[in-house]
Amino acid sequence: MSRSKTVGPKLFDRDGVAYVTLSLIALFCAIPFLWVILSSFDGNASLFLRWPSPWTLNNYIGIFVREGGARWFFNSFLVVGTATAIVLLFSGLGGYALSRMKVWWKRPFLYLIILIRVIPPPALIVPLYKILLTGNDAVGSLVRSLVSPESVRPVMQVFGLIDGYLGMILVFAAMQLPLALWIMKTYFDTIPHDYEEAALVDGANLFQRIRLVITPLALPGLAAAGLFAFISAWGDFLMPLILVSSSELQMLPLGLFRAFLRVQQIDYGFLSALAILYMLPAVIAFGFARRYFIQTFSGGVKA
Amino acid sequence: MATSPREKSWQLQLLLLPCVLLLGALVIYPALYSIYLSLTNASLVGVAATHPRFVGMRNYFRLFADAEFWNSLVITFWFVVGSAVIGQFVLGLTSAVLLRRPLRFKNLFNSIILLPNAVPEVVAGFIWISMLAGGEHSTLNRIFGVLGIPPVRWLEQLPLLMIVIANTWRGIASAMILMMAGLSSVPPEVLEAARIDGASPRQIFRFVTLPLIMPTIFLYMLVSTVTTISIFGFVYALTRGGPGNATEIVGVYIYNQSFTAFQLGYGAAVAVVTLLVSVAIGLVYVRALKVQV
Amino acid sequence: MFNKLISIGFTLAAALAPGLINAETIRIAEHRQARIDALKTVVPEIEKKYNVHIEVIEYPAPEKDFLTKLLTELRAGNAPDIINAPHGSDIADMVAAGYLAPITKELKAWDGYSQLFDVGKSMVTGKDGEIYALPAMLDVMELYYRRDLLEKAGISTDQPKTWAELLSRAKEIKSKTGAYGLLFPAGLTWGTGSFEEGFRLLIVGTATPQIASDDGKLNLSGQGVKDAFGFYADLINGDLMPIQPLLEPEPWVVPKYEMFPAGKLIVTTGGSWGYIYDWGSQSKSPIPNVTQVVGTWEVPGEKGGQYVLVDLNGPWAVNAKSPDVALAKKVLLELGSVKADVAYAQNLGNIPGRVDAAADPNFQKLTELVPILDSLKAGAGTYLKTAEGFSAVSEGIARATEALLRKQTDAAGAQKILVEYVKQVLGDDAIK
Repeated sequence: MSRSKTVGPKLFDRDGVAYVTLSLIALFCAIPFLWVILSSFDGNASLFLRWPSPWTLNNYIGIFVREGGARWFFNSFLVVGTATAIVLLFSGLGGYALSRMKVWWKRPFLYLIILIRVIPPPALIVPLYKILLTGNDAVGSLVRSLVSPESVRPVMQVFGLIDGYLGMILVFAAMQLPLALWIMKTYFDTIPHDYEEAALVDGANLFQRIRLVITPLALPGLAAAGLFAFISAWGDFLMPLILVSSSELQMLPLGLFRAFLRVQQIDYGFLSALAILYMLPAVIAFGFARRYFIQTFSGGVKA
Repeated sequence: MATSPREKSWQLQLLLLPCVLLLGALVIYPALYSIYLSLTNASLVGVAATHPRFVGMRNYFRLFADAEFWNSLVITFWFVVGSAVIGQFVLGLTSAVLLRRPLRFKNLFNSIILLPNAVPEVVAGFIWISMLAGGEHSTLNRIFGVLGIPPVRWLEQLPLLMIVIANTWRGIASAMILMMAGLSSVPPEVLEAARIDGASPRQIFRFVTLPLIMPTIFLYMLVSTVTTISIFGFVYALTRGGPGNATEIVGVYIYNQSFTAFQLGYGAAVAVVTLLVSVAIGLVYVRALKVQV
Repeated sequence: MFNKLISIGFTLAAALAPGLINAETIRIAEHRQARIDALKTVVPEIEKKYNVHIEVIEYPAPEKDFLTKLLTELRAGNAPDIINAPHGSDIADMVAAGYLAPITKELKAWDGYSQLFDVGKSMVTGKDGEIYALPAMLDVMELYYRRDLLEKAGISTDQPKTWAELLSRAKEIKSKTGAYGLLFPAGLTWGTGSFEEGFRLLIVGTATPQIASDDGKLNLSGQGVKDAFGFYADLINGDLMPIQPLLEPEPWVVPKYEMFPAGKLIVTTGGSWGYIYDWGSQSKSPIPNVTQVVGTWEVPGEKGGQYVLVDLNGPWAVNAKSPDVALAKKVLLELGSVKADVAYAQNLGNIPGRVDAAADPNFQKLTELVPILDSLKAGAGTYLKTAEGFSAVSEGIARATEALLRKQTDAAGAQKILVEYVKQVLGDDAIK
């Protein structure tokens, strides 16, 4: 291929305009963070922008030393990471299916799952909690009949639906799945059927077609779906707060609320420092996923 | 020649099964249950907690008679149009387009634009309080002070504009990410062909790229509308829906009218009506953007 | 149901099998690090005394989220054995929902019962004589003033005796020093504080001091409510209290943490914790010599009388669906011990609910709080009876005072806003 590597509409003739525009947008995004950054190094942080005095790393150190910072990060990573993996898998397959199938219930299903997000979480929590509790009791009985009494607690922490990793993972996956399915379905719609037909002619069955042909083509869509799922689940605080009680399973949102010391007293320094650390994984995930976005169609049907 | 053979459709449905199960149990069932709750006086406290009564359409009557509810719909409309449909979309699309070019500092730009989306909602609320509230202490007034402009009570004078701007700030990245994925699905050969045919970059964008990414745009509009309608915490922290009801979006209305007393029934009723409105909006998008779902 | 039988069966088997008798676990719900630290100081003793394993479950701090989680669990039957409610007014709602187990018998048989302040006992006793909560800690609210600045300006530091006197004192402050004379929390962004730290202190001094009436209806249409709003209107219209900060988020930051220490606000309502956490040793902008410099007045009544407003702070209760209610009740009573009370007082600045806490050497070290406890001993302490639906009243008052702050209405109009809102949320028949 000759020409430039990147593909894109060339709206502006000079890169200069691009730099200026991007800088303005970036400035708009960045200025509010000035307070967060300065507060995180401030021993006496306040709600308003001020020069730190004294400058200190105590807020950051305190997260890990005083509080259970490492534990929170680990738990959040575990839960959100696993949920994202599930979302990628389910939405990849499901999105492909939705794109290729022609059933009457396709459209109602798609609209149903996305429009449901309008219902405010507090209204959904009560029935969700009920159903998880029922499931939890069932899991609990199963576990108690299989393992010794001392191991019940740790096993339930992994497989329990309330106050257990499994429950959190499933809830996160379920919450992110609607958008992911839409993204993947929309994305697959743009991939012509030619590739699959060629593979079909070559004698590939469904799963081979998926593995060898569809998956590589779907990567930008998967990257977007996975990124959204990760960032959205990473930032969700209501579910972890309601569903988790044991201190060993606590995730980052609880850490944020630890900054609320007394009724009207908030430790802004701690809050800011934790917020900065909180954002890093999302930025890293984005950097990681970004390279899949610029992927283009390599080769073609004629190959 | 067999394309998607009908006899293989059960295989496709099998691929979808895990999604259906998971969504059915944890998303659809609670939503349906909420709809049922809207017909009761269910609550988390008080007598109605353990003995909820079926009250039929009473919640809905209260809802339709409440001028504050209609006001919240109007406010939400402007909120959605301003931040999701216009603000986030324009800035996000622009960023996505520009960042496809070979520029330096791409990583930096990308990361910075992502930050507002990555910061937890609780902190985002404080960030904007710090920006806008406090008279001369607020960051925005400090900046304006350097330019010689006297401090403005932002949340008092221009509340709706402020929450639109704040929410735009928060969501640019989601538009950008979706648009980046969409743009990457445009085949380069098509753009090449158009350029060879002598089309200007503007024409290429308008007549070639835009139609091709329309499904992605539709998806973005639908999702961001729904997500923006359901925003609560961020706006509540900034304005509590005030001054007066100037920024009382639907989420804040639901909270003020029902969750202060932990009334699930009324809150669910408002949610159901909002859901119906969203369906209508979805249909408008389908028509306007001429997409096939 | 079947699942429950199976798990009960296994639990019994485990309990009866020789050599497998594990200590039972009692779960206690608590929120905010300061409270959790206080609780943990007494946990080891309780564990030893009853051979029980205590698990402290940490709940999210902001009240809205704390209550959402707690109430969801209570409704589903999955809540910890011992819980506390952020406000005394929440107890009534929980009792009506049947979430709490009555502790009347056990409390009265407890050796600490006679030590509890009468005001605490009255607050937790329902109309039917049943008690559902342990009044371990109390919020005590009064007026706090800058004694040094009043003396400097030559203004009297005597206890104001009526609302009129309080207002004229505030006006005097304004004219002689230029500072704001009196702050009563108001407005939407102050949230429940507009009621708890503001309106409440006024209503108890009127001719209709109670909002909750015996038949369960809320008394909001009376003259007393209107007069209380009238007091607010006088303060606001006379420019005697800061208004602008109260219209913005985090409204207490500027008036209480900046203006009061700086002397730009001379008198404010506040709780006993102010001496330690707002302006004292643990605050970010402490006032040096705070117990000398900052004095307290009781809140005058409308036409006379002096009131110290008392409320339950984090009252403890037992989950009615706890697997072992009897044991939970025993542990509950331990949370009302002198040691526990003093630990909470140290960490939070609230006042213990027991008379004999005054003699505790650790409490005596909290010199800022000692006089306040003493005044309770002397019999001071009024409280507002609570009933179901107070959270709606609280929000209604926030809205009404917001309208007053914006000078959009007068006292009668504010009362109308309150009544309309409560009717809308709770129904017409909730109001007398």
